[in-house]
Amino acid sequence: MTTTSTFKSEADRPLARRPWLSRWSDPDDTTLAVILLAPAAILLSVMIVYPVSRLIYTSFLDLSLTSGLPARFAGLANFRQMPDDPVFWQATWNTVLITLITVPGSLVVGFALALLANLPFQMKWPVRLSLLIPWALPLSFAGLIFGWFFHSEYGVVNDVLNRIGLPSVIWFNSPRLAFAAICLAIIWKASSFMAMIILAGLQTIPRSLYEAADVDGAGRVRRFFEITLPLLKPTIVVALIFRTITALQTFDIPYMMTGGGPGTETATLAMYIHQNTVSFLDLGYGSALAVVMFGLSMLVTALYLRMIRGSGAAS
Amino acid sequence: MASVSLRKLEKSYGALRVVKAIDLEIMDGEFVVLVGPSGCGKSTTLRMIAGLERISGGEIRIGDRIVNDLPPRERDIAMVFQDYALYPHKTVRENMGFSLKVRGANAADADSKIRDAAEMLGISHLLDRRPGQLSGGQRQRVAMGRAIVRRPQVFLFDEPLSNLDAKLRGQVRTEIKRLHQTIGTTIVYVTHDQVEAMTLADRIVILRGGDIEQIGTPDQVYNHPASVFVGGFVGAPSMNFAKARAARGYLDFADGNRLPLAGVAGTKLSAADGREFIVGIRPEHFTSLTSDVGLNSQAQVVEPLGSDTLVHFAVGGATLTARLPPELRPQAGEAIKLGLDPAKIHLFDPETERALH
Repeated sequence: MTTTSTFKSEADRPLARRPWLSRWSDPDDTTLAVILLAPAAILLSVMIVYPVSRLIYTSFLDLSLTSGLPARFAGLANFRQMPDDPVFWQATWNTVLITLITVPGSLVVGFALALLANLPFQMKWPVRLSLLIPWALPLSFAGLIFGWFFHSEYGVVNDVLNRIGLPSVIWFNSPRLAFAAICLAIIWKASSFMAMIILAGLQTIPRSLYEAADVDGAGRVRRFFEITLPLLKPTIVVALIFRTITALQTFDIPYMMTGGGPGTETATLAMYIHQNTVSFLDLGYGSALAVVMFGLSMLVTALYLRMIRGSGAAS
Repeated sequence: MASVSLRKLEKSYGALRVVKAIDLEIMDGEFVVLVGPSGCGKSTTLRMIAGLERISGGEIRIGDRIVNDLPPRERDIAMVFQDYALYPHKTVRENMGFSLKVRGANAADADSKIRDAAEMLGISHLLDRRPGQLSGGQRQRVAMGRAIVRRPQVFLFDEPLSNLDAKLRGQVRTEIKRLHQTIGTTIVYVTHDQVEAMTLADRIVILRGGDIEQIGTPDQVYNHPASVFVGGFVGAPSMNFAKARAARGYLDFADGNRLPLAGVAGTKLSAADGREFIVGIRPEHFTSLTSDVGLNSQAQVVEPLGSDTLVHFAVGGATLTARLPPELRPQAGEAIKLGLDPAKIHLFDPETERALH
């Protein structure tokens, strides 16, 4: 009789008798939250938090592998070095300029391409495919292609110039022309990304809105400014955030096209970081430069986010 | 206000003809409802009147203008869309005033028109909200408000109630009718719901497979359906159909039931001995269980609805439904004789399925 009753109560509350099991099989809210968040938190820690922390730490060190000296804490010395470094200013200015030119440039070209791709073609896939190809190409490959396009002897651009009776131009000898060629390549590469995001946005706008606007008396241009543009605003802001951040990190295309030349006239901040860490093995200064670039990206992102919140587009 | 006239209006997509040379004259100030099942061409017809769909042939006139090639904005029409198509980033006021703004109306004038329309529809308190903050019924009213501020020649409604729940649908239906009575503008209204068609229309146009099946007042299409299709489409529960053969003044059903032909649909049919007909009887025209003239059968399923009793039974191989007064409630399985007035019977040709009058 007694045995039976004990047995029964154990069967009733088997989990309560083994707390370590109940914690996993029937966790409370906090435990569940920890369990569910752990994989992402661990991944983020390993992939982002640790490298960024390590980067910031290294930026305070005097650590040059060529000197053969052990790492030494240097405080803000690496950062103090920057204002007197003309290449830093040149690279930063080039990066800002590339951002200012290629972000609006790729937005305009991408928008036009998206509008074109959104037209009711009989066959949609060739249009979509031609939008995808530049996006799918590796950046360095795009740099290589454009490097050849603008090659002074074998480039297709000079060939076209010659055919219409103009003299060849040595593109990569002139800082301005080299810079223009780089911007053109970046816009070509980035427009397809912009176009795809904007095309996706365009396709979420119901057709009946355009029909209603047409019935209401709005012509094509008016429909674009009254319907398309305001409804695409959130999409455009997201596209701009992505594009601006990648523009601030521009490396591959100028690296492949000019290697930063002539001199350091077309070098970007990312290229200068690469040069300091990989070529000069000055990890301390390279890390400090990377911290500056990181800060710049954060600043721009914060500005955009504020812009979204201000316009109410996020809601 | 204006009349609308469609002459030999056609629409095809490649080889597929969705609207087949229809003719329709809509009078000034008339409320015409285009009704029919999915794919009958009713929405396409409306969109062709609006100018949102190019026509493949024929002619559309609004007033005395041929509008075949005019874009929607030059047709002086307003449309209420099925999904309302309100501009999500504009307030109710801006939504309603958009057409006025585009046409360069002065601001004070536009504002007073918006306020008048909002008052008429009871949405004055919503003018500063955005569509996302409104309920379905409120959005529907804003969509109507946007249509009426401009005082167009013709209103076009494309299934405007189909996104509302049943109760709200009834309410807005009444409001649409009142609106028409107040402003008197010509309305072309598309729906697949025959109740909406019957309650709203001055005249109903019943479409089927791109053809007009019948045009008539609600009374005409209900009492004198031109075909088996119209008989079955209008009225709920729908009309009963069973095959019968004429013989010596009677309609003989396959199971031995017979109804006198005298008084059915004209005397000339009584001579047609041996001819087969489709007999159409509305469920509500069975009135009693005790009558000399009627159909003998057995109650299969009995559904008491409170206001009426629906009785399902078989005659001549077809299952029929009778809508009886609530006090008549036979048991399932019970032998019954369903009485009816032969004058209310409809006869249709079994080949063409057209009514024989």
